Amino acid sequence: MTGSGSETPSPRRKRRRRSGWRGLVYIAPAMALVILFFVMPVIFTGWMSLHNWPLMGGTRWIGFKNYVRMFNDARFLSALQFTAYYTVIVTIAIFAVAFPLAIFVEKQRRFVSAYRTIIFLPVVVGLATASLLWVWLSNVDSGFIGPALKALGWVDKSPNLLATFDSAFLTIIIMVVWKIAGFTMIILLTGLQAIPSELTEAACIDGAGRWQRFRHLTLPLMRKTIALALIISVTGSILAFDQFYIMTSGGPQNRMISVVYYIFNQSFVSFNLGYGAALSIALLAILVAISIVQLWLLRVGEERP
Amino acid sequence: MIKRLLAATSVVTLCLVSGASAAEKVEMWVRSGIGESFKKVVEAYNSSHENQVAMTEVPFSELVQKYATAIAGGQAPDALSMDLIYNPAFAAAGQLEDLTDWAKSLPYFNALSPSHVKLGTYEDRIYGLPLSVETSVFAWNKDLYKKAGLDPEKAPTTWDEITANAEKIRALGDDTYGFYFSGGGCGGCMIFTFTPLVWGSGADILSADSKTATLDTPEMRKAIDIYRNMVKKDLVPAGAASDNGANFLTFTNGKIGQQSLGAFAIGSLVTEHPDINFGVTLIPGATGGTSSFAGGDNFVITKGTPKMDAVKEFLQYIYSEDGQKVMAKYGSLPTRGDIADKVLEGLDPRLQVGIQAIAVAKTPYTLQFNDLINSANGPWASFTNAAIFGDDVDAAFSNAQGEMQSIIDSGQ
Repeated sequence: MTGSGSETPSPRRKRRRRSGWRGLVYIAPAMALVILFFVMPVIFTGWMSLHNWPLMGGTRWIGFKNYVRMFNDARFLSALQFTAYYTVIVTIAIFAVAFPLAIFVEKQRRFVSAYRTIIFLPVVVGLATASLLWVWLSNVDSGFIGPALKALGWVDKSPNLLATFDSAFLTIIIMVVWKIAGFTMIILLTGLQAIPSELTEAACIDGAGRWQRFRHLTLPLMRKTIALALIISVTGSILAFDQFYIMTSGGPQNRMISVVYYIFNQSFVSFNLGYGAALSIALLAILVAISIVQLWLLRVGEERP
Repeated sequence: MIKRLLAATSVVTLCLVSGASAAEKVEMWVRSGIGESFKKVVEAYNSSHENQVAMTEVPFSELVQKYATAIAGGQAPDALSMDLIYNPAFAAAGQLEDLTDWAKSLPYFNALSPSHVKLGTYEDRIYGLPLSVETSVFAWNKDLYKKAGLDPEKAPTTWDEITANAEKIRALGDDTYGFYFSGGGCGGCMIFTFTPLVWGSGADILSADSKTATLDTPEMRKAIDIYRNMVKKDLVPAGAASDNGANFLTFTNGKIGQQSLGAFAIGSLVTEHPDINFGVTLIPGATGGTSSFAGGDNFVITKGTPKMDAVKEFLQYIYSEDGQKVMAKYGSLPTRGDIADKVLEGLDPRLQVGIQAIAVAKTPYTLQFNDLINSANGPWASFTNAAIFGDDVDAAFSNAQGEMQSIIDSGQ
């Protein structure tokens, strides 16, 4: 950091160096946690991925063969494809629901905190619990949705929602939106509330319409918030596992195997821990790349224009 | 405060240690879905012996990976009731205790169920011994037969007959169905109840050396047709399409006319659902003949367990006449041939059909059983769902055939 040439550093420099050490001490606990629980496991996973590593029995060095295998693995590629499809659909669905909700609960009106609480409630339910709840709701005989449709006379026969890809996928999307939209709403709400009311008033006085204010004032000022919500939503969707495992066990005819589900199957059903590790590293690379692209697209690092 | 806590925990630990020296506590895992027989024999053993067995039930579809990860993490139980088809794979991985010498010293060793011992044997050493035996059989609800105007005492012998009967039973009412099977990607259920249709007709899904997948046969096409036809005619509840095995015993609700199930289920039906009046016969083949799947569990011991003697004592109790009687009462067929007649004396005669099935039954021997057949995301599980409920039967056949072959090839 500092040049080693100077033999007698000025007092000012000395102080700065001391405060640098103090800073390191402050972040040391956090760094220790990150190194212990993130960096080291990742390095170990990378090490495993270079081996044929069965769950039981001896390991064998195979270099990059696991990574080569990945590109010819049709099941992995279809898992990637399905995960991408799911991520796009569910992210759009979550934002389409959460943004109007955020605008709705932002204004001061009667019962607004009650609305906020009700919308946020599903978020505090665990995803596995929510999945089990919806398995019951969509059960064809003893559930709620199918029998209710039948009781209303909309269908002749209670439909088995989890039996075909389209209806099962729709059910899962609705479940996830119900579960997650409240959280995204809260994030967006904080962004909305951070917009100074003077700006909105000034825009009103200048004669800007509702849509113009939203497009040229609200959206630009919420860029960072939207980026945060988007990254959380996309990352969460790419790592989706519970809902597919619990609600459809991989879906009708294995059509709902997400990437994490496939990694789980390879590691703990087929016992190829090495290959599972290689897939995990690939997934990590994909996630990092997507996050960088999102941050760049939304120009989060730059100052406001 | 912390000191006091420490003191308390050390006292508790001391108690545990001293308690263990007096009587051993054997940790044992058992898969779900094998009925009550094992639970009851554990209860009987615990109430009459100083050593105790602590049983943990694990969902059958997760037992293999749970056990394997527990071994890898050093948390494995002392012993396990293992679906016998997995025995070769775990023995080959060197994770099980070699029981050869002890097993051969048992006076009744030669009377133990031979197919179980065969699957428990790997390279001439014995790693698993029979714990429970069951075969798949066809059951029909006599009350519903009577209501539908059928002869309740006449067992159907062909699938044409079964389909015709199912139609009559379906006509009884809204929530009464003619037939049931767990078709939502439950590979284990379908290999148990559905492959006998193919085996009975003389075909198989794997070649004799297990190195070639032979899924696409005229017999399999016919068998798939039979099930498809029943689904199309609405003789099967809609829930079957997504039942991953959780509702395998739907027959017990009394609204299913006919279902293929196992001897364990006979035990559960007799002891827990005495109101259901049912008959049992062998599963007919798709084009004639009869067959069955000989399944059940082997008793295996985790390598290096310190409680070997206690585990052996428990296993010997299971093989005693008392133990065998308890097991048989709850549907596990006797594992000891020499006292089978004595054990079955006075028990439900329908269990005899389960014994008859052993003569025509098959069990596949492959190290890749989980990947090929049992895994919920394996080719067999998705094939049965796609071929019976899907739109494109030909694609289902060619996909599954290709995927099974590639799994077999990658394992060699």
